[in-house]
Amino acid sequence: MNKHYDICVVGAGNAGLSAALHCAVEGKKVLLIEQHNLPGGCATSFRRGRFEFEPSLHELCDIGSAEDPAEIRQMMMDYGVEVEWKEVPDCFRIISKYTDGTPMDVSMPFGCENFIDKMEYYVPGSRPKMEEYFELLNETMAGTAYISASNGKADSSVLKEKYPNLLRTGAYPVSKVWKAMGLPQKCCDIMSTYWGYLGVDMDRMAFIHYCNMFMKYVSRAAYIPAHTSHEISNAMVERLRELGGDIWYNCRAEEFLFDGDQLCGVRTSCGEISCDYVLANINPDIIYGKMMPKELIPEREKKLSAARGKNYSARMYTVYVGLNKTAEELGIKDYCIFFADTSDSVQEYKNILGGYDSNNFTIFLCNNIVNPDCSPAGTSMGFFTSMGNREEWSDLSQEDYVAYKNKYAKKFIKTLKDRAGIDIEPYIEEICVASPWTFARYLGVPEGAVYGYETAEWDAMMARMMMLGTDYPIKGLRPIGAAGPRGDGYSSAYVCGRLMARLALKDLKEEGR
Amino acid sequence: MAVKVKVGLIGALDMLKFKNMAKVREMAIQAAPANEITADFVINNNAKALHPDFQELVVDKVIDHAGAGAKTYLMRSKDGGPLAYFRAGQYLSLKLAIDGSKITRPYSISSAPKDALKGVVSVTVRSNPGGFAAEHMLKEFKEGDEILSSGPQGNFYYEPLRDPEHIVALAGGSGITPFLAMAQAIADGTEDFDLTILVGSRTREQILFGEELDALAAGCEKIHVVHVLSDEEADGFEHGFITADLIRKYAKEPYSVFVCGPEAMYRFVKVELDKLGLPRKNIRCEMLGVTKKIAEAEGFPAEAKGKVFDITVRQGSEEYKIKASSEEPVLVAVERAGITAPSRCRSGECGWCRSKVLEGTYFAPAENENRRYADIKWNYIHPCATFPTSDMVIEVPAEYTPK
Repeated sequence: MNKHYDICVVGAGNAGLSAALHCAVEGKKVLLIEQHNLPGGCATSFRRGRFEFEPSLHELCDIGSAEDPAEIRQMMMDYGVEVEWKEVPDCFRIISKYTDGTPMDVSMPFGCENFIDKMEYYVPGSRPKMEEYFELLNETMAGTAYISASNGKADSSVLKEKYPNLLRTGAYPVSKVWKAMGLPQKCCDIMSTYWGYLGVDMDRMAFIHYCNMFMKYVSRAAYIPAHTSHEISNAMVERLRELGGDIWYNCRAEEFLFDGDQLCGVRTSCGEISCDYVLANINPDIIYGKMMPKELIPEREKKLSAARGKNYSARMYTVYVGLNKTAEELGIKDYCIFFADTSDSVQEYKNILGGYDSNNFTIFLCNNIVNPDCSPAGTSMGFFTSMGNREEWSDLSQEDYVAYKNKYAKKFIKTLKDRAGIDIEPYIEEICVASPWTFARYLGVPEGAVYGYETAEWDAMMARMMMLGTDYPIKGLRPIGAAGPRGDGYSSAYVCGRLMARLALKDLKEEGR
Repeated sequence: MAVKVKVGLIGALDMLKFKNMAKVREMAIQAAPANEITADFVINNNAKALHPDFQELVVDKVIDHAGAGAKTYLMRSKDGGPLAYFRAGQYLSLKLAIDGSKITRPYSISSAPKDALKGVVSVTVRSNPGGFAAEHMLKEFKEGDEILSSGPQGNFYYEPLRDPEHIVALAGGSGITPFLAMAQAIADGTEDFDLTILVGSRTREQILFGEELDALAAGCEKIHVVHVLSDEEADGFEHGFITADLIRKYAKEPYSVFVCGPEAMYRFVKVELDKLGLPRKNIRCEMLGVTKKIAEAEGFPAEAKGKVFDITVRQGSEEYKIKASSEEPVLVAVERAGITAPSRCRSGECGWCRSKVLEGTYFAPAENENRRYADIKWNYIHPCATFPTSDMVIEVPAEYTPK
């Protein structure tokens, strides 16, 4: 018989690791179970030949410098987790077209002043509007921080007095706010670049959400761990062990067990676990769809699921390359290049969802630019990221699978050559292609959609945050992760894990346990 | 602040819109029907079919290659359904229970990928002196026996995004099997590359799959088979070993070399390949095992030689005390104790057996070192390619098995 745990965290993805650590730091007896033989979910690494690949992380925002730590660095410090961070040199380079059809090849720096200066260089005369815009961004950031800190109980008189612009713009889509401010279109085109990081176009993405992500990058720069995301995840597991927590790998949660309407344990592939509370790093549709008794699922939760209509967010596609030449030899100078056919995010999203023929969207990263020693001497490594539609990856047989995913890989390798003059093809020593099938396999996420539900329109991040106390009212069970209130992203998942762990501990306290 | 932004005509209404976000969301939710929630996803089902936790197989037919001291086991899926498709060159990890040990053995699939979709797959087992699993299988396995296997595993396959169109395969003993699968895949149009197989055997009698290979070569211009006999001279056969000169003789530039065979062959071929000066990207080896003579490996601590250590194994909430020889992988000791532990490649490459060392020291040979940076840093091992050099305490994950 397995011993009793205060908290069982199911899934050692970013949210699960963060939730488990928060509970352990607070003195709870924690068991973290993970269906794979590694922690991290997306935040992991894999070996091919002499290369160790980073599978998913482009760059982490919210780290900040050691002297002035931002939220995630501070969180890791609070948890007692040490990670060696490397600073990313620039925001991004984007090779695309402006919405007026003229070619775009711009590189934007970190730092608000630098960003405005560079924008003035690309879009002469934009400075006054950009300065005004950054004032709005700063106010929105500060206001969001205030709302987050209030745990859903923000004082509206404070909001009105200190953050009136946030209140007036926050609920609108990004493109409307830009238009209202009269920002030059070219500035908007350049600033749309990050849309793919959230997987929602600018007509449907709430300004408050995009603003926060954008500013976290621009104002605080971005970082990657020196030794892949696996370093972060392993460091978190190590700390969990030090705090007395247990972690079981190759252990799959099968069913949540209830005593009446109160959760009392988990049936797993490694036996039954008795616990007071479960934080499940699992999409709610899977929890409700096959992991708990139907009669315990409230009407409103069924409606919530139906309203979302299984309209999961982006399905990722990635190609990892280990090259037997250095970045310098290959002429790679940028860490991160976005390639798109247009900077019009609505049109570009349509192109992506159109499948192979219209999808020319890819982001190429070269890890060595930030971290020269991440691959053996004389080599370099990197990866392409794109997205795909549900149909193309659903209506695909096992026999056609490799050819189809390779077809995309060829296209993106060619894009890199044709549009940036970087020819990697003769130097590929290792290559590995991951598709939505791969992400479905390793993460268990519905349809391989790593971002959870779209944080768009009525289901945007702030609206979800406002309804934290209403969604998912199962006693002793809370879903966490990309499908949660904060939506997708590395840092969002860490923050979500901690937030939901706090709520769980509050629940337990109120119940006198 | 100086700036005042409003999106609508009246700023106060904009504010109300912000405040009403929760209300709008609740309306959207309430307007939806309270349907039962289902969790059946096409892409997840596809992924599961391609990468199952395990496959339940039944031995359909046993083919005896008496001259070569080997047998081929034709197996079908127990439920009659399709088996996971694979890339020619991949292997299955068979799960076997022998004398109380729960072990695994990796065997390259010798049948064509297309056959898997018909629910058929075959592997070939060759007798080797002191081979614990092989001898058991050759003696005991018969038609109708049930065998549990992994899904298809490994990265030893032709990759058009990476490899030149011409591949020179160097095969020894049962190492011919992945190339037999590749040749079939080329012949039936699944794969498209030019394959020249140099097969090393002692004598004509000992050639494994000779007729099958010759027939494939005769029927397809992209497949070439060269038999290399070490102990016999005969017309139409090369004599000696697979040397750099022999590879040069049959290779068409540019080419990659794929190697699969017994340990002695690797040691010999490695020296020959160095002479060719090929870039690293053009040489791929399938190991499927670690050296049997670890005490001779560079860096193995002399004082550990011939020692037996105590290992405490934790798995979930269970704890076991076992004995382990310094000259056998930790995994072997764990399996011998009857513990079901995860493992697949048994050569340190795949990392499926990844386990945590809580106490103790060990030796991990450089030629099998495929651990992640952060795993080395925090003392994780791949027990299949790790040898104890003191008493140890380790944490081993569970393995998925049928209910």
